[in-house]
Amino acid sequence: MDSSLFLEMESAQFTKTGQAACGDDVRFLTVERENRHLAALSDGLGSGVKAHILANMTTSMALKFLESNMPMLEAAEIIMDSLPVCEVRKIGYATFSLFDFRLGGKAYVTEMGNPGYIHLRGVQEVMPLKDQMIVSAHWPDREVRECVADFLPGDRIILCSDGVTQAGLGQRRDMKFGWRRSGVLEFARRRIALDPEISSRDLSAAIAREALNLAPGGCKDDISCVVAYLRHPRVMRILTGPPYYREHDSDYARQALLGEEHVVVCGGTTANIIERELGVKVRVNLADMRTAGSLPPVGKVAGVGIATEGILTLSRVLSAIEEMRPVEGEPAAAKAILDRMMRHDRIEFVIGTKVNESHQDPGIPQELELRRSVVRRMAQALERNYRKVVTVNYY
Amino acid sequence: MEKVKVEICCGTACYLLGSAKIMDIESALPEALRGRVEIEARPCLNLCERENLGGAPYVRINETEIVAKATLEGVMKRVTELLEGVS
Repeated sequence: MDSSLFLEMESAQFTKTGQAACGDDVRFLTVERENRHLAALSDGLGSGVKAHILANMTTSMALKFLESNMPMLEAAEIIMDSLPVCEVRKIGYATFSLFDFRLGGKAYVTEMGNPGYIHLRGVQEVMPLKDQMIVSAHWPDREVRECVADFLPGDRIILCSDGVTQAGLGQRRDMKFGWRRSGVLEFARRRIALDPEISSRDLSAAIAREALNLAPGGCKDDISCVVAYLRHPRVMRILTGPPYYREHDSDYARQALLGEEHVVVCGGTTANIIERELGVKVRVNLADMRTAGSLPPVGKVAGVGIATEGILTLSRVLSAIEEMRPVEGEPAAAKAILDRMMRHDRIEFVIGTKVNESHQDPGIPQELELRRSVVRRMAQALERNYRKVVTVNYY
Repeated sequence: MEKVKVEICCGTACYLLGSAKIMDIESALPEALRGRVEIEARPCLNLCERENLGGAPYVRINETEIVAKATLEGVMKRVTELLEGVS
């Protein structure tokens, strides 16, 4: 993949009402050495914990086989042979959709039993260059569909479980057979027409939410939607800590000029440097002070971005991304940073390395971690858990 | 009518040592005095790194007066004095 491009892969899920675990599973894998990006979506037979296990086994095996370039029919056969047989239905069963994006702009999609994938270039549907069905001699009732398509910058691939395409089935007169693939396609096209650069995160969430809304009275089947979107990366920058040499302050402050939606200034002293060097002012809304939760409030810096307290806020963000906690429920300042991180693909940390003398006060808890170690762990968690590209620059 | 400006430091040290509680000052003031204080949360007043000021949390009143080891009660008392003309 061209290094100026980024493949954003995100998913959204809803679990069938009343079940403790989602019976669908979604996994992503980046094979750095080959510049390949893989996604797997599987729907396990039935629902709940048993389906969850079947789906998990399927996605983990499928990604392993895909990574090692095993022929997909053989892979599908091994998966079918390995799955535990359902006591009720006497079959071992899980469906899957696999997406394999490779260097050179080719996308390979392999499906077994799942609704057909959707490939969009803007609002236009793109047909595959190659589309073939192969039948297993071992499992004659299983068909594996293999497709190859050109995947260009701006293209999107949408994978869904049948909880999406069958949403509303039997519940709505206008949808005798549910939402269907055609309904999902129309919905996605409308959303993209409204917002041509809609992120994978927002589009997958919108599709899953719509599927949920089509079936009033709870989630009738596990709902999963994966969207992959090839685009120029959205870059955000986090400035934290004063530079070691004061004469670097002005150069450091200029790093904050990337656009309001893309910049976070973390730390009081850092905010002061930005104010002084760029001639701006941090404003904290009084109402925001009361809703700040357990962290100092978020300020706005006109023309620059948002400003938060430093190490407490960053530590909170770190624990949220390490544990992959949902953004909702986090204190306002942590949520503001997390929201921005999720909306961007490439996250650049600009770190000032001066030690904050005031943190050496014996009245301050010892756990207050060093900024550099918090950022190092954040970079790891963002890369591992959220597939972000992270860079760190020191001042 | 002149207002009293209260700047509360939201830097890490001040926040950890209790500056968040001071943000309630407006609702804690007697009704007659409410609306006569202008409260501002500042990212950092840069006072904790200076020695001999008394220690965080810091509050600055009317641009010049520094309150060290500030508490809600202490700041309220000082603001009330200023508003009632005792200085």
